[in-house]
Amino acid sequence: MFSPEAPCELIEAERRSYVFYEAEPDIWMVMVLDKSKYTESVWRSESLQAVLKEIHSLFVMFLGSIKTLLDKQPSGEFARSHLYYFFTDYLTDFTVSTKVQLPTFRECLKERRTVQMLTISRDVAIEIQSLVTVLGSPTGSSTMNNSIILFQDLLVSTTLSPDDTANLFAYCVMRLTPHALSSSLSSSTWSYIMKSKTTSNVSAVSSSPSTVFAASDELRGTSRDTSPGGEPRTPNAPRPLQRDKWSKGEDGYLVTDAWGVEIGTSLLRTPTILLQQSQERMYLCVYQYKSLTIVLLVPVLSLVNGEQGILLVKKQLLENVSDKILSIEEKLSKGWGGENAYHVGGYRYLLIDGDRNISRASPPAKVTTLSKDSLLALNNLREQVDTEKKRSKLDNPEHEKDFEACIRAKNNAWVIAKVSRGRELYMALEKASETLLFASEAVEKFSNKYCEGAFSLD
Amino acid sequence: MPKFQILQRMTSRDRRDDEPEKGKGKKNDRDDASVSWRKRKKHFFVLSHSGKPIYSRYGAEHKLAGFTATLQAIISYVENGGDNIRFVRAGKHQVVFLVKGPIYLVCISCTEEPDDALRGQLELLHGQMLVILTKSIDRCFEKNKKFDMTPLLGGTEAVFSSLIHSFSWNPATFLHAYTCLPLAFSTRQAAGAILQDVVESGVLFAMLMCKHKVVSLVGAQKASLHPDDMLLLSNFILSTKSFRTSESFSPICLPRYNPMAFLHAYVHYLEVDTYLVLLSINSDDFYHLKDCRIQIESVLAKSNVLGEVQKSVLDGGLHVEDVPVDSSLRSDSPSPHPGQGRAAIASRIGGPAGLLHFIYRSINLDQYVSSELSSPLNSSRLQKELYRAYQKLYVSMHDRQIGPHKTQFRRDESYVLLCWITPDFELYAAFDPLADKALAIKICNRVCQWVRDLENEIFLFGGSPFSW
Repeated sequence: MFSPEAPCELIEAERRSYVFYEAEPDIWMVMVLDKSKYTESVWRSESLQAVLKEIHSLFVMFLGSIKTLLDKQPSGEFARSHLYYFFTDYLTDFTVSTKVQLPTFRECLKERRTVQMLTISRDVAIEIQSLVTVLGSPTGSSTMNNSIILFQDLLVSTTLSPDDTANLFAYCVMRLTPHALSSSLSSSTWSYIMKSKTTSNVSAVSSSPSTVFAASDELRGTSRDTSPGGEPRTPNAPRPLQRDKWSKGEDGYLVTDAWGVEIGTSLLRTPTILLQQSQERMYLCVYQYKSLTIVLLVPVLSLVNGEQGILLVKKQLLENVSDKILSIEEKLSKGWGGENAYHVGGYRYLLIDGDRNISRASPPAKVTTLSKDSLLALNNLREQVDTEKKRSKLDNPEHEKDFEACIRAKNNAWVIAKVSRGRELYMALEKASETLLFASEAVEKFSNKYCEGAFSLD
Repeated sequence: MPKFQILQRMTSRDRRDDEPEKGKGKKNDRDDASVSWRKRKKHFFVLSHSGKPIYSRYGAEHKLAGFTATLQAIISYVENGGDNIRFVRAGKHQVVFLVKGPIYLVCISCTEEPDDALRGQLELLHGQMLVILTKSIDRCFEKNKKFDMTPLLGGTEAVFSSLIHSFSWNPATFLHAYTCLPLAFSTRQAAGAILQDVVESGVLFAMLMCKHKVVSLVGAQKASLHPDDMLLLSNFILSTKSFRTSESFSPICLPRYNPMAFLHAYVHYLEVDTYLVLLSINSDDFYHLKDCRIQIESVLAKSNVLGEVQKSVLDGGLHVEDVPVDSSLRSDSPSPHPGQGRAAIASRIGGPAGLLHFIYRSINLDQYVSSELSSPLNSSRLQKELYRAYQKLYVSMHDRQIGPHKTQFRRDESYVLLCWITPDFELYAAFDPLADKALAIKICNRVCQWVRDLENEIFLFGGSPFSW
């Protein structure tokens, strides 16, 4: 009635919060949080909405749009069972023992749906480019493949659009990188959000199958399988987010039985994904050598022999690029600064490039050294920035808002937000001096050294 | 018939004359089907717990019964789930809910005000209703769920309109402090002395006001007056025409003082915008208060207080252009007094270093002073924008969980804002968006010093301590 151009995004009540996301036209995802079940119920609505966006993006990447599933079976049974298992598997990454931890104020220096990039030297970049070229156009083939390459949990290169990269990168970090493969279901400390080994002050709620359901009028049907708390029939659909389904084969390729086997053979089906930008379905081939993970995407329509064709592609890849892979891995390992490579002493920061969906932040273990009050203050500031950005976008989508705020909190920490030309910098300084000018100087130094002066407006 | 009874009847007739305000500007958007009604930037609704409309800023209440029923349904639906709804956000719009017993208040706004600020405004709106009716109104709903409160608020449309309008220009609505008319210390003392005499004769509170600014204010021993009560009372008086035409004796409630009971206010305008308010607990105190007024008027005339008040109004208050900035200024040099022009090193825009406006709040005194709005803040649109920026800054600094913070510097395309909160004072200052940070800090220091130099003229000291 009053806001026809923008849908409802948040309902805040005293005991519960309701976060809304219109995933597809007329299809809504709703997250309901009972604050009484959380030890620390302070979150940023954008970060919760980002969880819904991520679930949906990954779902579409693997299984297609919800609308497509509903078109296949309007009663919703098909879509419902797909969604049930997908959500359940996704939430295992947020689960610590039996409790689900959703991102709270303690994750205010993280940005979901962005990639973290590895800084590499020029000569390594040239080698990687050469590898990417070969991956993209194998000898004797007119096919254009796509690829993304990761080192540890950081992106090295991509040939995909920013959105497709963000989706696939998220999946790699969740399930495919060496770190993901080595984490087991029984580990209580690993999660997509909290990669540090600490379990400091988690905010948790008991999980139950009924809470993971995405609700919409379209999906609410008369199927017998939708009784609250009851599991739908096991689908034949793959469960790409199921944990411990990927393993490394002897040839270095990662294999999974999550997609079942090819009919009439014992060959495991190669996973496929749908690229958002081109709407092309691609085979997902993953090769891993030590800390290097190469994800090769081969158009499904380019291989008439299906799984046999994929086997050939994999073999060719090993023949053509093994040496390059060895060399690149060795050079990247030599230059690798470890988990704290992007730590900057005295700063706790998050840097976001919104145009390219890239972020860089202080390592999680360093962020946990910030006091609760500092994190709350920064979370609050981020909420204010979210509001400013949203409003600015609604007023004028072409215009990029510039904004800066420096707050000296009650506990004397400085929390800072700077938004400039599509880039954002958030920072908490607990050991800065009392004066605003000194804190500003510290930010200026950081901006000049690590952000090419993007935030040095003064 | 005694004269004061006649005055009471005249007062209620005049109040009904205030009702045409409702028709003005509203005739095109009578109900929720009207496009122009929906496009209004900020709606306020008051409804009963049964969904009956009591007040709407825009549109005729009786035509909004369906809409208010929907609001009531939303609130009740959440209540039935063991919860209480606070707000809904959709794009630029926020729907903020406040439940006060059987009375529901809702604000639907696409201004940039934070939900906390809007909730504070709903609290004041509720408080304004209590000024007229007291909290005893709740009992009427307890006895009859379908009780229709609207007739009791007949003729008060202008009061609510005026209060709502003040949310976009009066810092008192979010600072919860009051402001004084700048006056020489001796002048204010003279006014205070006669008010003190009157209070000692059995009056609860005596207030000499010029529009929304305090000239002098005295309360009986152990009686304290909350700034919100002062805001609501002065709004009620200023927006009720009949108070201007003759001396009046009216029951009013001060929600923070005692929400359940009426006090009785004797109101008399001494000049065009200068009025005297004497508050008594006795409903038969009219003649005593009238005598007090005559006594006060005489003393004020003899000491030329009213003349000084008029002069102060003409001079205006503090101007940013007058902020002393000469670096050779020593602390013993006289600071420019309010209204006095002084050559200052000023930028082309506003005051020094691009200073556009400031608000200084003394925490101990619960008073604030703000500079006059002048070029380039010429239009009401720019002024509204500035106040909304201040509101955002205020809410940001006074975080409920971890606030108040100590310092904030904020810059966007419209302003540079600087805020300091110390145990003694709060300063909010707005600068041109290109203002230099270091210079802005220096100017803010100068502003604080200037205010301290002028405190005897811009704040009310002495008299009864106010505490709550």
